[in-house]
Amino acid sequence: MTQEPNRRTFLRTLGLSAASITLSPLAESLLPGSTLPARNVPIDLVVAEGSSIPKITSAAVGLMGGIKRFISRGDIVVIKPNMAWDRKPEQAANTNPHVVATLVSLCLDAGAKRVKVFDRSCDDPRRCYVQSGIAHAARKAGAEITFVDDRKFKEMNIGGEVLKSWKIYTEVVEADALINVPIAKHHSLAKLSMAMKNWMGAIGGWRGKLHWRLNQCLADLASFFKPSLTLLDAVRILVNHGPQGGRLEDVKGMDMVIAGVDQIAVDSFGATLFGMKGSDLGCVKEGHTRGLGRMDIENLKVKRVHVPTP
Amino acid sequence: MESAVVRYRIISQVLFLTIFVLLFLLTNYRGFDEIRYPVRIFLEFDPLIAFTTLLAAHHLPTVMLFSLAVVGSALVLGRVFCGWVCPLGTIHHFVSWLYHRKEKDILPRSNLLGYRIKYYLLFFILASSVFTLQSVGFFDPISLLIRSMTLFVEPVVNLMVHSIFGFFYDTEIRWITALTEPIYSLLKNNFLSFRQPYFHQALFIGFLFVAILLMNFYRMRFWCFSLCPLGALLGLVSQVSLLRRWISEACTKCDICFSGCQAFARGNQDKWLRSECLVCGNCQNRCPEGAIDFGLSPSAALTKPGLNLIRRNLLVSAASGIIAVPFLRMNSRYRNPNPKLIRPPGALEEGEFLKRCLKCGECMKVCLTNGLQPTLMEAGLEGIWSPILIPRLGYCQFYCTLCGQVCPSGAIKKLTVSKKVQVRIGLAFIDKNRCLPYSQGIDCIVCEEYCPTPKKAIWFIEKRVKDRGGIVKIVKQPVVDLELCTGCGICENKCPVVDKPAIVVTSIGESRSGVNRLSLY
Repeated sequence: MTQEPNRRTFLRTLGLSAASITLSPLAESLLPGSTLPARNVPIDLVVAEGSSIPKITSAAVGLMGGIKRFISRGDIVVIKPNMAWDRKPEQAANTNPHVVATLVSLCLDAGAKRVKVFDRSCDDPRRCYVQSGIAHAARKAGAEITFVDDRKFKEMNIGGEVLKSWKIYTEVVEADALINVPIAKHHSLAKLSMAMKNWMGAIGGWRGKLHWRLNQCLADLASFFKPSLTLLDAVRILVNHGPQGGRLEDVKGMDMVIAGVDQIAVDSFGATLFGMKGSDLGCVKEGHTRGLGRMDIENLKVKRVHVPTP
Repeated sequence: MESAVVRYRIISQVLFLTIFVLLFLLTNYRGFDEIRYPVRIFLEFDPLIAFTTLLAAHHLPTVMLFSLAVVGSALVLGRVFCGWVCPLGTIHHFVSWLYHRKEKDILPRSNLLGYRIKYYLLFFILASSVFTLQSVGFFDPISLLIRSMTLFVEPVVNLMVHSIFGFFYDTEIRWITALTEPIYSLLKNNFLSFRQPYFHQALFIGFLFVAILLMNFYRMRFWCFSLCPLGALLGLVSQVSLLRRWISEACTKCDICFSGCQAFARGNQDKWLRSECLVCGNCQNRCPEGAIDFGLSPSAALTKPGLNLIRRNLLVSAASGIIAVPFLRMNSRYRNPNPKLIRPPGALEEGEFLKRCLKCGECMKVCLTNGLQPTLMEAGLEGIWSPILIPRLGYCQFYCTLCGQVCPSGAIKKLTVSKKVQVRIGLAFIDKNRCLPYSQGIDCIVCEEYCPTPKKAIWFIEKRVKDRGGIVKIVKQPVVDLELCTGCGICENKCPVVDKPAIVVTSIGESRSGVNRLSLY
């Protein structure tokens, strides 16, 4: 038998509900954060080459100081690949699935509580997740694969020069550690799509509108997102008809990944794979000028390593 | 207490409705390029559709031979399909039961003689299909149900579930969302649409669907009793069926048997209408004397039918069906192709397409981007509710072949991926007055970025422009390559000129047409 609520119980319930709604975010903010200052490692960029994708990925992360430099035990890690297109790995439009899967394993081995992998794709997400091979490989490695949920885009203050505020995927911002895993490929407006351009998949809204002043917007996004690590997939690069390609003639095998903390430096190095310099790319130049990172890779310590296949 | 027949009948109804709903849910992209069990399987068992397709298109997809099984069942057991199998019939039955279960006697309303209407409708449909008009899709119960579920029920259910869980989500209270979100993901991953579907005319189609459901309040199974042309066809076949009903001497003529009868098959032995009986078993179940018995008898096939159709009305219906053909085709479409009529890839040439399209809406259900929509007048009266791609709402995904896979009648051909990417459904045109690089001298290239052909069908002319401040820069102005453009519409869909896109696809250049082409391409 249920009791009719009287005025007192009603008010008490109301008060408790109101208090729990108001106080729950406050309580969260009081919990100790898990961000630790990064150890100072002299290497700025690692370029790992070799035919075994898991090995070069592990080697690149290892030489950057190991995955434990970037994530802590119990972290919720977001790995942001580029899986924007309904294309297969050999067409080099999406991040290589083995690179992503290896990163997932590294994070979980280092004690990450959860590893999430997602992208706001351009083509139908279901097909992109399947065709890219990333959903399968990363799930097998233990990642949580989810499609982006429209409710989780929230208008946030970007404070950029062009982008004042935009819809951002909350899971990216709320992650304890964020790892950016783009693929290096051609793009007819940005010239190349790499680390900075990959943030387009973490934002909501009508993204095409950013094209009007793309380089400034990309620099704005690069100043907003704070990845602990950037790993550029250059196992295969797409040299023409990007960003989605489709022709195998446009794909060039490089068997390489580039790791770095400074995303501007990573992109600047990436440009050299296409016979360009970092300063040829408007967004890299813009990022450099704003002090978001350095494009003068000749002044940076770049560690090159070749990982032989047994 | 229900008798064995009634119990088995209810089990059968629930079973087939469940199968139908499961197949309906499986008619969807679930990570595989092939859809193995589309809901069109139900249409393949539909003899009315097989018959009219044969008449109108002079073609019968082999799988439609399954429908002979249903004809066979009618030859033996009468309209057992209607009473035991048909998913729409089961839904009507359920609604009727909800409303009428408390009534002791529904005799007054069951006296209505509207049962003949469906035979006239059947004659109308058959006569028009002889003259190549495929009008069956509007009235066929299976087609109607799939269409109503796709265009109306599923979107409504999705929207409701989404807003209910969205409400809890928006409270941002941890313990509430911890409770509701797992349920929501479970529903979302298994039962709901991937994205909220929106369809043109959803309300109109929903109104019709709800209206026929509400008619059950007026009369039990109104649709089955008065309108269903498939029921009429099976009714005609069951005239010569082996099914027979015996009434023993124990009958006290109390007429209690009337009260449960879902159709108009009431009456004593002489008046029992085999063509109307849904073999539901209610009369037998309710008879206090146990005086009613069903069985098979070869001699039953020879008894007088008693189906009292009025010959003049039949002739008028058939004549209307014939007149409907030119009437519905009085449309300028036959003189000039409609630029907006972008048919799905693999669609047959327009005339042939309309002879086969059943307006079941399955292609719209599987369309990944929700771009396939029901037509209203774009394809003339004849083509109402046939599929049309509206690129602004959704484009044709380059490697997707789902619509052709689920089409029950072959109106959309099943294509391999390598064939599909070569099919053109239209051609994109740039509106230079609105396109930003042309009209404003600013960067864009979004259409080119999204263009899915491996060698892009959009290329650039690099143009030096001077802005208001006198600064010279180079902008890339897009140009459509008419040899490569497939008309998929992703450029129009993604064009950042949001309100009225600066690149628009029209139907010209479509592979299926011999006329609607641009020069030699």
